[in-house]
Amino acid sequence: MDHTAIIRKVNDIFIDVLDNPDIVLTDETSASDIAEWDSLNHIQLVVAIEKAFKMKFTSKEIQSWKNVGEMCKAINEKMNA
Amino acid sequence: MLKGDRFTHSYTVSPLIHEQFIELFGDRNPLHTDEPFSRRKGFQGRVMHGNILNGFLSHFIGELLPIKNVIIQSQEIKYYRPVYLNDELLLAAFIEDVHESVNVVEFKFNFSNTNGVRVAGGKIMIGII
Repeated sequence: MDHTAIIRKVNDIFIDVLDNPDIVLTDETSASDIAEWDSLNHIQLVVAIEKAFKMKFTSKEIQSWKNVGEMCKAINEKMNA
Repeated sequence: MLKGDRFTHSYTVSPLIHEQFIELFGDRNPLHTDEPFSRRKGFQGRVMHGNILNGFLSHFIGELLPIKNVIIQSQEIKYYRPVYLNDELLLAAFIEDVHESVNVVEFKFNFSNTNGVRVAGGKIMIGII
């Protein structure tokens, strides 16, 4: 799965978890760009992503993500690890 | 708490719980309060409010887990069979997954009656705060 496919899948997760069909993620998207992406929903997003991609992150990894691009890069690295 | 850990607890839908639920929330729908009405609709008696089971789940999460620093983040429940007054229900729950990255524990649970019939089931996601 390449970066584009990953971000597309992550986009679907965001739409589902945040219940907002208008979300269109880019690598630069961060929590400040999406009103519903608050700290509580962030937890739900991480859980959904870990389930969807069948992988687990550490809290350190999650805290290092500054935007969606870094999140998807981390997913990609785990998939190919 | 680890993946696979199991918990069980017995609850009874007592008259006091039924009456206080109605008093607190005001749902006096005849299905819950009118025996002849419930029987005409094909049930064996007054059907207890499904959300009484959510109260039991609140007790389970808040009081019975080995830690107290927990908060319910999401919950879903499906009702399979009616629950009647004085029914004794066995809540059986197990940890389906642990997400250490965000301090989240996911439970699956079932309520079954003394005949071993599953009356409700679902999932609860809790956060460790």
